[in-house]
Amino acid sequence: MFPLRFRHGIPFVAQASSLWGKQASRLRLVSTGVTPVCPTAEDGCTTPLGMTINCMPAPAETISLGLPVAIDRIDRGLKKLWSESEGAMTRASMINLAVYSEEPDSLTQNTQLLARIAENHACRGIVIGANPHSKNDRIEAWISAHCHVGRAGTKQVCSEQISFLLEGAKVKLLPSIVFSQLDSDLPLYLWWQSKFAEPMDPQLWSWIDRLIYDSQTWRDFNAQMRLVETAQREAKQRIVLCDLNWTRLVHFRVAFAQFFDHPSSHHHFREIESGTIVFGKNFRSTAILFIGWLAAQLGWEVRNGKNGDHIELENSTRNRVKIDLQENGDAPIGSFVAHSSDVKFEIALARCGDLLEVSRSKSDQSPARQLLPAGENDSVKLMSEELMRGGQRRVYLRALEKVRDLL
Amino acid sequence: MTNRSAEQGVNPLREGLSTRAVPQPCAIVIFGATGDLTHRKLIPALYNLAADGELPPAVAVVGFARRPKTGDEFRNELGETTKQFSRQEVRDDIWKTFSQSLSYHQSEFEDESGYRSLVKRLDQLDEERGTRGNRLFYFAAAPEQFEPILKNLKAAGLSKAKEGSWARVIIEKPFGRDLASAQELNRVVSNSFSEDQTYRIDHFLGKETAQNILVLRFANAIFEPIWNARYIDHIQITAAETLGVEGRAGYYETAGALRDMVQNHLLQLLCLVAMEAPTDLSADSIRDEKVKVVRSLRRYRPEEITKWVVRSQYTVGAINAEPVPAYREEEKVNPNSETETYVALRLLLDTWRWSEVPIYLRVGKRLPKSATEISVHFKKAPMVLFNRDSAEHDQNVLVIRIQPDEGISLRMMAKIPGTSLRIEPVKMDFHYGTSFGKASPEAYERLLLDAMSGDATLFARRDEVEEAWGFIDTIESAWSNKDAPPLTYYPAGSWGPEEADELLARDGRTWRRL
Repeated sequence: MFPLRFRHGIPFVAQASSLWGKQASRLRLVSTGVTPVCPTAEDGCTTPLGMTINCMPAPAETISLGLPVAIDRIDRGLKKLWSESEGAMTRASMINLAVYSEEPDSLTQNTQLLARIAENHACRGIVIGANPHSKNDRIEAWISAHCHVGRAGTKQVCSEQISFLLEGAKVKLLPSIVFSQLDSDLPLYLWWQSKFAEPMDPQLWSWIDRLIYDSQTWRDFNAQMRLVETAQREAKQRIVLCDLNWTRLVHFRVAFAQFFDHPSSHHHFREIESGTIVFGKNFRSTAILFIGWLAAQLGWEVRNGKNGDHIELENSTRNRVKIDLQENGDAPIGSFVAHSSDVKFEIALARCGDLLEVSRSKSDQSPARQLLPAGENDSVKLMSEELMRGGQRRVYLRALEKVRDLL
Repeated sequence: MTNRSAEQGVNPLREGLSTRAVPQPCAIVIFGATGDLTHRKLIPALYNLAADGELPPAVAVVGFARRPKTGDEFRNELGETTKQFSRQEVRDDIWKTFSQSLSYHQSEFEDESGYRSLVKRLDQLDEERGTRGNRLFYFAAAPEQFEPILKNLKAAGLSKAKEGSWARVIIEKPFGRDLASAQELNRVVSNSFSEDQTYRIDHFLGKETAQNILVLRFANAIFEPIWNARYIDHIQITAAETLGVEGRAGYYETAGALRDMVQNHLLQLLCLVAMEAPTDLSADSIRDEKVKVVRSLRRYRPEEITKWVVRSQYTVGAINAEPVPAYREEEKVNPNSETETYVALRLLLDTWRWSEVPIYLRVGKRLPKSATEISVHFKKAPMVLFNRDSAEHDQNVLVIRIQPDEGISLRMMAKIPGTSLRIEPVKMDFHYGTSFGKASPEAYERLLLDAMSGDATLFARRDEVEEAWGFIDTIESAWSNKDAPPLTYYPAGSWGPEEADELLARDGRTWRRL
């Protein structure tokens, strides 16, 4: 067990050990380069064009929760953590990031995620593992810090983490636990990994600046969304809704948008007649959100398509646009092809998954191809993307309205 | 939307995805494509933009230079140097796609036929790569080549864009070596390109922290009310480097620190610190305010130059415990050179806001460490209560670190814990590298993207450049007089000559310890 975790190298073993005496330290050595991680470790990746990219296997990681601490001694424990640390260390925090889950073993998994998120987003992490159905009423807490060498390469930058295990009736203490551990003056982002359930505690929602969730995991989209919207209404301040299912689409949206940056290509908005979107197993909602985005931004209306393999829409000139939905593979979105009267716009994921190949072609011309970043369907990458973007989510809400009945 | 956005020429699909103007498809023609700037900065910057997905797909880069070379040789050379100088690791797959946009056009800069064939090549790229008739000409060649290049571009019809397209020119510093030559250069440029087509690059303005100066000042309510002569005692701007001339002796001998750094980079930083709030964030609103700062610089009378400007040159010394030669012993430097490698100045701005607030600039080579920063020194609190035995350290100082270790710090007074009342300065420190894990893009990445987007905010305008030269000329002309103050000397590895310390000591101040 070690409360301070260091990144990027062996020299910190001594510091971690000296800080916590005889406690064993296990450092996590993770590639920091841009070499893509293979979906399977045995081979390289291939783009749709047939280019081969070398990959490396993802390293295995083990992590612990840190130092157990009594609830009323958390502040003192954190101070001690810093007073006893050695070497050049800086505590950094830009946000309070609370993570709530009811999954068994979520504390360890989320600690692992937070360690990686904190590398790019210094934060006060509050990780909560809850089991409201437990017959025992129990509460436990741990403190730790995630440290990595900053860009300047001389100083370790550390983010604190406080972890809580709440069982039985103690789960109701969630708001008071979160509120008492906030780094003052910093915004509170709550990453809610479980299903929303009634009653929604208005006291909790009133403190949240951003509510992060992943609608891809929802079985009943409308019921869940209703609860989120209720919470939003009851909050005294405006909560920004951040759906990681929407974040998954960022790179596909950028890739499709860039076809139309030049005003002379805008006539295609009226001329798109059909499209095909390929999505992975359990990612139908992601594909539908993409269609919702097109509809919202291009002024299309959904005419029908609930549960079918295609959706029919009507564009602003009342012409029909038919989008086929095909489930294939594991990637959230594998490809999207749109046809206007004479041009084909194509985006496809390279097999290694971190690049998109985009092309625009006329029937009489060879296509111009380009590679763009694809992002990854990985919780850390999605959260990093989300935390970097900031701002309101007006386009998301508009897109949602367009396809709500289809989700 | 959407439809309305499209009618206004805005891509509705970009909403919420990008807060900056989107770069447009174009052909980038680099004159001087075999030179250092292309290899070290421009192509690595373009590669990084491509790797980050910021570069439009329809961009083609044409290297224009004299040396005979095939396209493959050109691409291979650039591949090697990009691996060496790129901010992020070069991926073979991305390089392979990106390098398909690179081609080489061999021609003498004076050869008209080379430009006629360039026209054909660019038209071909419009067809093949969809560059849509947009042209960005980057002058990475020696300044003496600018005129023939500009004349030939005009003669070939390349300075004028086709309808619905644009043609822009990026010019690297130096923008002249005095007011007359800057005016002449601007005249030559304006014969071929209008001012709104001309982008004068000053890479200091592309730095994240330089851009953050305006955010710090105008997005925070606490600074602007005290950002004036009533509360600010003085300002110091320092650009120190440990390096010597490093192979630039030929140029440096004709320029010196005043022309090389003060006329452009330091005065640009001064403008950002001292300007009034612009009416909006458009390029011209910001540049209108910046040029007013340069105009308001109080001109020195010839007899004042000795008193308020220090020029100096480094002698033999040591940097990081390594012996280094004197400037006059450097390769290609005249052994009797009078070129200054260090300048310190005391400036005043004749504006209501800055009335009688001294601004001290210093720039030098072979100083003990490399650092560029602006420090704003506030007036002391009244000398009653806690400040009876006030020392200089009792001032509040706001420091904006431009490079390295970008960030902002604020020095304030605090009570030392204990039963007695002892007060000491403490520092609140914000580091970009600590708070934001993501590395900032290189200045050239941002500036190239801005030029492709048509955003000239971070580029110098003609009047700014000429006003700055007008100010610098008064100093240069005094230095060229027979009775000019003698050049002073400082050992390499020191913080400059004693005269620079005296410059502040006369006002009862000292340079900030870096």
